[in-house]
Amino acid sequence: MEKLTVIEGLHDFRHRIMSEKDIEYEKPTLVICGGTGGLASGANNVIRAIKRYMVERSLQGKIAIRITGCQGFCEMDPFILVQPGHHLYPKLKMSDVPTVIDAALGGYIAEHLIYKDTKKQKIYENQNDIPFFAKQTRTVLGFNENIDPIRIFNYVEQGGYGAAEKVLSNPDSNWIIEEIQNSGIRGRGGAGFPTGKKWEFANKSGKKGVQKYIICNADEGDPGAYMDRSLLEGNPHMIIEGMLIAGIAIGATEGIIYVRSEYPLAIKHVLIALRQAKELGLLGKNILNTGIDFDIEIFRGAGAFVCGEETALIKSIENLMGEPRQRPPFPIEKGLWGKPTCINNVETLANIPVIINKGGKEYAKIGIPNNTGTKIFSLVGKIRNTGLVEVPLGTKLSEVVYAIGGGPVGEAKIKAVQTGGPSGGCIPAHLFDMSIDYDSLAKAGSIMGSGGMIVMDEDTCMVDVAKYFMAFLRDESCGKCYTCRKGTQRMYEILEDISMGKATLKDLDLLEELAYVVKDTTMCGLGQSAANPVLSTLRYFRKEFERHIIDKRCDAFVCKDLVGAPCQAACPVGTEVWRYVAHIERGEYEDAYMAIREANPFPSVCARVCNHPCEDKCRAGTSGGDPIAIRSLKRFVTDRIEPSIYKSKIEEWGNGEAPKVAILGAGPAGLTAAHKLSLKGYKVTIFESESKPGGMLCGTIPSYRLPREIIEKEIDSLLNDNITIKYNTALGKDVTVEQLLEDDYKSVLIAIGAHISKPLRLADENAEGVYSSIKFLKEYNIEGKQLAKGNVGVVGGGNSALDAARTALRQKDVESVTILYRRTRNEMPAFAEEIEAADEEGIKIVTLVTPTKVIVSKGKLAGLECIQNKLGDIDSSGRRRPVPMEGTEHTIDLDTLIVAISEDTGIEAIAPEGLNLTAWNTIKPNLATLQTNLPGVFAAGDVITGPNTVIDAIADGKRSAIMIDRFIRGEKMVQGAQVKLPQTYLAPSTNGDEPEKSNKRIEGKHLPADTRRCNFDEVELCLSEKAATCEAGRCLRCDLEFTQDNEDENIEISEGVKAK
Amino acid sequence: MISLNINGLDVSVEEGTTLLEAAKFLGFPIPTLCHMEGLEPYGACRLCVVEIGEGAGAKLVTSCTYPAQEGLKVRTTSKRVAKARKMIIELLLASSPQSKTIQDLAAKYEVKQQRFRQEFEDCILCGLCVRMCEEQMVAKAIGFRGRGQERSIGTPFDKKSDVCRLCGGCMFVCPVCTLRCTYNEPDKAICGACSNISAPCLDKDKFDDMMCYLDPCAACEIEKQPCGKGGK
Repeated sequence: MEKLTVIEGLHDFRHRIMSEKDIEYEKPTLVICGGTGGLASGANNVIRAIKRYMVERSLQGKIAIRITGCQGFCEMDPFILVQPGHHLYPKLKMSDVPTVIDAALGGYIAEHLIYKDTKKQKIYENQNDIPFFAKQTRTVLGFNENIDPIRIFNYVEQGGYGAAEKVLSNPDSNWIIEEIQNSGIRGRGGAGFPTGKKWEFANKSGKKGVQKYIICNADEGDPGAYMDRSLLEGNPHMIIEGMLIAGIAIGATEGIIYVRSEYPLAIKHVLIALRQAKELGLLGKNILNTGIDFDIEIFRGAGAFVCGEETALIKSIENLMGEPRQRPPFPIEKGLWGKPTCINNVETLANIPVIINKGGKEYAKIGIPNNTGTKIFSLVGKIRNTGLVEVPLGTKLSEVVYAIGGGPVGEAKIKAVQTGGPSGGCIPAHLFDMSIDYDSLAKAGSIMGSGGMIVMDEDTCMVDVAKYFMAFLRDESCGKCYTCRKGTQRMYEILEDISMGKATLKDLDLLEELAYVVKDTTMCGLGQSAANPVLSTLRYFRKEFERHIIDKRCDAFVCKDLVGAPCQAACPVGTEVWRYVAHIERGEYEDAYMAIREANPFPSVCARVCNHPCEDKCRAGTSGGDPIAIRSLKRFVTDRIEPSIYKSKIEEWGNGEAPKVAILGAGPAGLTAAHKLSLKGYKVTIFESESKPGGMLCGTIPSYRLPREIIEKEIDSLLNDNITIKYNTALGKDVTVEQLLEDDYKSVLIAIGAHISKPLRLADENAEGVYSSIKFLKEYNIEGKQLAKGNVGVVGGGNSALDAARTALRQKDVESVTILYRRTRNEMPAFAEEIEAADEEGIKIVTLVTPTKVIVSKGKLAGLECIQNKLGDIDSSGRRRPVPMEGTEHTIDLDTLIVAISEDTGIEAIAPEGLNLTAWNTIKPNLATLQTNLPGVFAAGDVITGPNTVIDAIADGKRSAIMIDRFIRGEKMVQGAQVKLPQTYLAPSTNGDEPEKSNKRIEGKHLPADTRRCNFDEVELCLSEKAATCEAGRCLRCDLEFTQDNEDENIEISEGVKAK
Repeated sequence: MISLNINGLDVSVEEGTTLLEAAKFLGFPIPTLCHMEGLEPYGACRLCVVEIGEGAGAKLVTSCTYPAQEGLKVRTTSKRVAKARKMIIELLLASSPQSKTIQDLAAKYEVKQQRFRQEFEDCILCGLCVRMCEEQMVAKAIGFRGRGQERSIGTPFDKKSDVCRLCGGCMFVCPVCTLRCTYNEPDKAICGACSNISAPCLDKDKFDDMMCYLDPCAACEIEKQPCGKGGK
């Protein structure tokens, strides 16, 4: 490289290279990200494959490769970007490379490899059309894809060193500082101090001729933030140019890039770039004969987080211990070696050439007033498009998270975004409409920081988040000032206590009190912001903290000392799932049954119709695989074991006559409560409005899902001499709560469920042929009447709609069944397997329609007019709202219409006087005790929650029995919550490591659709013994973490004894 | 001269005076553990915080390091200061409950409870000994090591220092009196001065937790032997 000696030389050199660019760019170029992220994802393999293919086919000269730094779309690494068409081929394997090269040479697109929107299957031919890129403004990061960082020519080709040329031609600091001040840029390191002002101070600081320094702070240490690294790796010359300009502006002759040793690639690229810039004559003594001296050195930090703080950074360069000192004096006055020192962040310096080229005022048009320019954020965490995102300041947070980031990865909704690294705070989802700028973030209790954005979804526990960041800060605090060293340690300890369920509400107050003191009294930025993770999570997620403390629950299933085995914690009745699964694997089916029955009085029912929250939280599933088929395993056990094997012990009521308890409703909640109370010696009378017990179990759940003899057998096993059931006795009609209390019933439990279908609220809804789903199902299930005829329409998307539809299909006069739902299949609340089964049986599911008119002819139903919907914004249920499209009304011919949109309790009409109800017409008891505002009157099941699951009703029944017992005995109703951790040790199976063991979830077997659609035979079949053992063997046995320790100690002791 | 206002009183001080010195001059007591005349201000214990500025711009700064500025309004006992100071004393009490100095501070500032996990540490890492050794004795025999919780004071690699002159200055300045007895193994001792101290102090185990933080040294009191530097 020839050294340039005059400014004109630089001018000519640049223009020559820039004009040659177009010739160079005629042939296709393969651009590969060779940044740290790309290399980690296997970019080197792709590069190797490209080179091999090029040599094989002698393609040298016909196609070019450019290995660049990080381009931002890290989720898609390793990828090839084909220029000039900007075709992006993401997540490539080595075997895909020849196809891509052939396509690039042939000028076409390899459709099966090109970037697609996964959901819509839409092909994006041009990278710039992809939402991730289209919504960004990449003024700084945009260069990376065109620059091979080890080639200075690439940078010059892109107009690089143009700003330096401008500044060197007129090296007067005033105009440079004025441009920077006009641009309004604020420091990108976090605090947001105006760079122009800093430079002005630095320029004026010290006596004339004093040595000054400019330092580039590249000590990026936030977990999850890597924009500085990517800039240094991908475009080091831009930083060098920025530093040169800064040096001229403040009169510094020496620059130092402080970069941590953990960034080897960045160091390598900067070193190469520095050498090239020196060889070209852009750094050194008397640059381009202008009389300006400026040289840059690189200083490798040892990776202490606190060394990102400017005074600590200076100490580190001075070879002292990297710890901050109290300011003032500021480094601008007294910095490195006691000389005025200006410290700027990498990103700030990268923006300087842009500002000089564009002009300050032009630059200020990007962003919003007082927050100008673009900022790079590293978007990581539970988000679809992980990567670096550059947007103008003032962009809405929701835009970054949803439009650019692509929203959540899985089913769980996004809960919060943590900005600014460990010193930042969490911003909850309901504030996502805020603009991203220094001031709004500070107002929300967070900071801009260096620009990390960690997205968290509902499977993230905020206590755990606060604990994680506090552990980081505790370890990274230098320890110089007492409140930071001890404060972070003590905050961590309290958070640890909370996550373990050991804390009290007083500790929470102490935590907050301490956090404010730490914020107030520490020396440097690290300590002052160390309280942010705690304060911001407390501010927005205090409920979660309180839930850990009071209820000893971690709803995200993260804090393991509260969760124990997730399956057990997820089960509303606390079934020790891990225990019966382990028993199944060991072939101990009776023990397995006992484990289930101890917690759940309806094992066989739940084995068929439970919504299995245990499977949703199963760690085999949440850690990336398939959850254990727990419900199928339960079915396997309950099919083999008779309920009568479990003998429950009935206690005698001690002195005097046993108290009487009345229970209204013989559904799962009522029966569970009656059973539990009867075991304690109470005389229980159940009043049931139907002629059979079971409530919804036998009234609405069809027998092809839950055979009647199973219910009957199970209910029989629960009844005993202490329980009397009075059938055909309805609350309000035959019996009232007041009357029962007068009749010497010590307590009354209302568990009548939600048995009234909600109407569509359309005219002619009472016409012949229109039925509510509950009426339709009960008429068939209890009375055996087949109401459906001809073409049947079912309105609704819940389990009740599916039950009605599948029952109708099995009735004799039915020709076809159509389900009409107002949103899409994804939003249907019914179980996925039910929807699938309905599909198989030939039920038509029409989505995005809302009924608008019931068409009646001669008093009879003739059809239904519907309007087409589209999906709108997200509503309060977290689902997208259906929005009707005008003019899309159409008519569907129907002979029967079943309305299954939701159920109501109907409690308003029959409730005792003065009972507190909610706006949704459900009872409003004290949720901690289930006691209503009327003393002695309790409520349980759907009558409190509205239509809900069987297992929740059973859980309510169990809890209400405990509460009624405490009430009658006059004990304290609310007692401290207990953490339920696995206790029984069951040795893991020894046949665990068989090579043929599959990791796939067992597929449940069903009757074929053709055989089942005409009858009510049970559809789901039981697992075979082999399949069940195999499935149980997949269990990760989360319980062992809690039980094995003790066992190990025992083994040691027993072995010790043997040894003697 | 710089004039400023402390707790409502106007005062003029020379340039370069710290707020702590200015407040002392006026007779306002400000507690501190890491400050000593003759040693470079350090700002480690944070006890000497005072409130400066007004309204939203008000903030707490350590008075030992903050230089007096023209027109500055300083409050040494505002609510915010008192709250912070109490919390700091509570933190000190939680970690070093056996120190007489800290017990006295707690009594004086009416800190009656300690709500954290109890620890029994000796050193509060105020750095007085390090600065004494470096600035006054020009020895640099001891220094800080590690960071955060791991931070401690000692010689490099815990080896007996060649530059230490056994002056005992480090022990003299220690506010919680730790060096006297924790370094009772002659090989590891920072300055070796404890070998000059009479026997009971060396025999740490014998007195369990009752080391000579108390002035006069509890151990020496029991043995009725004055213990070298520390005791009276």
